[in-house]
Amino acid sequence: MAKVLLVDDAAFMRMRCAKLLQEEGHEVIEAANGREAVDVYLAQKPDAVLMDITMPEMDGLEALREIRARDAGAKVAMLTAMGQQSIVIEAIKSGAKDFVVKPFERERVLAAVAKLVG
Amino acid sequence: MQVELINVFIKAAMDVLRSETGEEPSAGSIKVLSSAQTSEEVTVMIGVTGDVRGMVLLGMSERTAKGIVSRMMGEPCPLFDELAQSGIAEMGNVITGLATQGLEQAGYGAVISPPALVAGGPGIIISTVNIRRFVVPLHCGVGDLVLHAALELAPATSQHGHSNGRAVVAPGVFGI
Repeated sequence: MAKVLLVDDAAFMRMRCAKLLQEEGHEVIEAANGREAVDVYLAQKPDAVLMDITMPEMDGLEALREIRARDAGAKVAMLTAMGQQSIVIEAIKSGAKDFVVKPFERERVLAAVAKLVG
Repeated sequence: MQVELINVFIKAAMDVLRSETGEEPSAGSIKVLSSAQTSEEVTVMIGVTGDVRGMVLLGMSERTAKGIVSRMMGEPCPLFDELAQSGIAEMGNVITGLATQGLEQAGYGAVISPPALVAGGPGIIISTVNIRRFVVPLHCGVGDLVLHAALELAPATSQHGHSNGRAVVAPGVFGI
């Protein structure tokens, strides 16, 4: 089982994703924006990160780049409502390993985590 | 152009409601209004910028909001507390995010702002001074919602892009 960092400014989404990940035995830690995500990542070195994009203070793409700059091996998947092709391409170029578009199915999120830690 | 834009948002709202509630939603007749709007008990507001810009509002009763959150959580939602408010705001965010994908497929780039939620209505006025809003009632098993979309093409897009000289929604200012 993996330690997963959930990054989303919506408390409801963190609760919802944490619940489904914990039901699968994963340990979940949380951050409410990109800036907090970078700090939590560096402090706790999770096995995988699920990252929203549209967030206050620092968005998910910037946080992705900052985390990857500090740890080239960071395993990050985007989990977002922003599914435009240009954003998907930008995320992949910035080092995202997967891209899950909301509304998501439980199995899709679990598959993304399995892909990150597999 | 007007219908092209609003249809993208209606489809996105229907898809998300279907996915999140498990109910088959339906849309009522579209109205175009320019008068000030008295808010519903709960209203999610999301800004849109880019080739298409403006504001999307999603209004509903608190009872409907709690019903939707209950379906999203898979458990009862007796109170419209901060967590429930977050869930409804996120649903608005997902609807608008999905719509921006539809806009992209139609050739329009757009990004959305984090959602804001207005609760405590009705009685709160969300003014759309001199702006035309598309208003679409949405019906699903957990209750009724109202989608408001006041959108326009950005000037560069409307002059040189995809509007082809057709009319677009007039610009305006939202305030509460």
